Formats: sequence, C-alpha cells, structure tokens
Amino acid sequence: MHGTDHNLLVLDRVGRRLAGREIVQDLRLTLDRGTVLGLLGVNGAGKSTTLAMIAGVLAPSRGAVRIDGRDLAEHPQTARTHVGYLPEQVPLYPELTVAEYLDACARLRGMAAATRRTAVAAALARLDLGAVARRLCGALSLGLRQRVGLAQALLHDPPLLVLDEPGNGLDPVQTASLRVLIRELGRERAVILSTHLLPEVTAVCDRVAILHEGRLRHDAPLGDGSALERTFLAIAAGAVAA
Amino acid sequence: MSARAVARLELKRLVVRPFAWTLAAVGLAWLAWQFLLLLDGFLKAQARLAAQPDAPGYTDLVAVPLLAAAAQVLLLVAPLLTMHALAGERRARTLPLLLACGQSPRAIVLGKYLGALPWLAGILLLAAAMPLALAPATHLDWGKFAAALLGVALMTAALAAIGVACSTFASHPALAAAAAFALTLALWAIDAGARAQGLDNGAINYLAMATHVQPLLRGLVGSVDLIYFALVVALALALATRRLAAERTRG
Repeated sequence: MHGTDHNLLVLDRVGRRLAGREIVQDLRLTLDRGTVLGLLGVNGAGKSTTLAMIAGVLAPSRGAVRIDGRDLAEHPQTARTHVGYLPEQVPLYPELTVAEYLDACARLRGMAAATRRTAVAAALARLDLGAVARRLCGALSLGLRQRVGLAQALLHDPPLLVLDEPGNGLDPVQTASLRVLIRELGRERAVILSTHLLPEVTAVCDRVAILHEGRLRHDAPLGDGSALERTFLAIAAGAVAA
Repeated sequence: MSARAVARLELKRLVVRPFAWTLAAVGLAWLAWQFLLLLDGFLKAQARLAAQPDAPGYTDLVAVPLLAAAAQVLLLVAPLLTMHALAGERRARTLPLLLACGQSPRAIVLGKYLGALPWLAGILLLAAAMPLALAPATHLDWGKFAAALLGVALMTAALAAIGVACSTFASHPALAAAAAFALTLALWAIDAGARAQGLDNGAINYLAMATHVQPLLRGLVGSVDLIYFALVVALALALATRRLAAERTRG
C-alpha cells in the first residue's frame, strides 16, 4: 500500500483505461494539507483524467483513491464533503445568476439552509463576486467564470482542492490574482493544480509531479525553476524513463 | 434525499428558460382552440342530444376529448422538455459538477425526472382546468373525468421517463428528442399490425401504450393499466441510471 491513513489524499496504484487505451497507469501519490502540488504534463498526459478520479467524477479502472483514509469507491459521499473541484471547462449554467448557481451547488452538496446562505455569502466575498452576484453566468467574462467556478469549489470549505488548468484564458492581472489566491488557499488546504505551464507551477507550488503518457515520471519538492524546466522537457521528449 | 437538489435545480432551470415557457404556451393555446371547437360542437348538438335517452354529455363530448388532445400535445412536448436533461449537461460539460458534488447516477436520473414532472403536470392541469371551468354550469361525470385525467397523467409520467432515458443515451439534445419521440410513437402503435389482423388480446397488445390509455379515457381504472405505466417508468429510469453509471466507470 502506498501512503497511510494519515495522508489526506492517497492514490494507490491508480489506473484508468478508456477505449482500450491506458490513460493513467499505476499512479501512486500522496498529499497533505498545507501543500500545493503542481501536476505538470503535456496535453494528453492524463492530468485531467487523474483529477476527475480524485474528484469522484470518474471511477478508477484499477487501484484506489483514498481521501482522509476512506476509499472513494466505497464512500462516494466523501467527495461531496472533502473535495472542491474546478474542471478544465467551468461547469456553469448560463441561465442562472451567480448567486442562484452557487446556491444550487450548495444544495447539491447537501448543505443545510442556514449553512448554505453563509457559505454562498462567504464564497462571493472571498472571490470578490459580490458585484456580479445577480448577473447571469452566461454573461460573464472568462476571468469571472473562472472565479465563479472557484467559488463553487470552495463553497463547502473542503480540505482538498482540485484545480484543472484554472489559469486558462486569464489575462496577466487575473493570473497574478489567481496565484495569490491559490497560495493563500494552500496554507490550510491541500491543493492540486494541473497545468502545462511551468511559470504557473514555479509561482505557486511547493511540490511538482510530472505525468507523461499516463505515468508518474517525477514527484519532488519544487527546486530551481530552470532545472524543473529541463526535467519537464526531457520527460516530455521521452528521455527520462519511469 | 439527494435527488431533491437535482430536481430543484432542473425545475429552476426550466422556469428561467424561454423554451419551456414557449412549449407550454403553444401547447396550451392549441388546447384552448380545441376546447372552443369541442364546446361549439357540443352546443350545436345539444338540442338533438336532449331528445335521445343516454345520449353522451359534456364529459364525453368536451372534457374527455380535450384530455385526449392534451395527451397528443404532451406526446410532443415531453420529449422536447426532457431532451436537455442529461444530453444538455453532457454537451455543456456540467455533468462533472453533479458527480463531483457526490450525486449518484441514480439521484441524478431521478432528480432530472422529478424536475421535469411538475412542468408537464402544470400543462396537464391547466388543460384540465378548461372543461372544469364550466363544471358548475354542466353535468360533469366526475368519476369518468378523474379516470381520464389519471390516464393522461400516467402517460405523461411514462413519456417523461422515456425522454430522460433517451437523453441519457444521446450525445445531443436534438437526438434525444428525436429518439424519445420515435420510441414513444413505436410504443403507442406497436400493436397496429396485430389489430389490423384482428388480434387484440396478445402480448404485443399489452405492450402498446394506447391499449392502457384508452380504458382510462373511457373511465375504467384497471390495475393492469396502472402496473403497465409503473413498469415503463421504472424500466426507463433503471436503464438511464445504468447508462450513467457505466459512463462514470467506463468513460
């Protein structure tokens, strides 16, 4: 067994097969609170599939995802309380206002009425969305959509935050404020940040894992940025064996 | 129950969509026109009918035919209303949100179904309100009317379940609507050939939806018919749940 029950997240030899192809293979990884893990990989490396399995959206074909000691396959409700997930494409309902959307997300997570109101207000305040609370999700700019997506992931104050390419399409100012926010969130939570952009990783992560062709090829604390770039490019070019 | 949150979200999204209102408005306008035509026919025939013993009355000539017309309208409306249920979520990439919120495939399917039902029930109740508005001034056969209303309501529940199931299997809402409509029509008239041959009591007749709606429209409530609709709903929702669960497991 990889990891212990004390780890917040344990991926124990996780694999996922899709249409006869191994998308993720034998993935072993642990993560604890207070760490921001950058999950690097070229397009098609298996990052999004891995994150979807951690969030409970996809079931692993092999191995187990354990969150706070509980197997996600046996306790799917753990995802509801312990994981905040922002997929690559922000899952918004364009016909709902931001406040209605967040309220619906809180209901989906089974939050009680009193908690729900407080949680929605807190998420709106934290992501600075108060001014657009009554605006339709379909009318938001890309940056605002990402913030609303992040707000829904934070609604229930989860100990584990899973962010799939959260910086996609953001302008430099929005990117900078997102980085500050992720660092802040990473102080009290475990955060997994999937990206193919090295600067994003060096700016906010404590640890880096590199996926290539579905396998974990590198897992180490963030060191020197140029050394990481060399490692990443070597792995991407297939020069580093598993 | 976690399906309640999904149902509430589904209903909320229907309420703010112009498409759902347009469907309801067009359907009810058509039914209102039908009601006026039926009422006009009844009023013109009243003098002739008054002379006959056991002549059909307001219930047989206006109320029940209007409910039968409502069934035809709902045959079109239900697939269009439910086509977005899962196919729309898949297309808009919002399905991961429901799954990440810990909703099981069963809760999602049930929630989608329960969310669509109040809208369809609203259309049916407004259609029923038309003949009911004249009830104080006429002799309405309440038993027959209630049986016919129950029949159309059960049929609507089955149509919604078929619509949600088709939406779970389809990649595009339009495909889901087309599949649901085709399936419903096939289920409605599956025994047409058998009937043409004079067979009206075989297994194929039991499968036909019309076989179970017609007795209720005539005021006959039978457990066989009630069980049929319960089976259609259960089977459609079970297949939809299975498909969604397989999507999570197999991709």
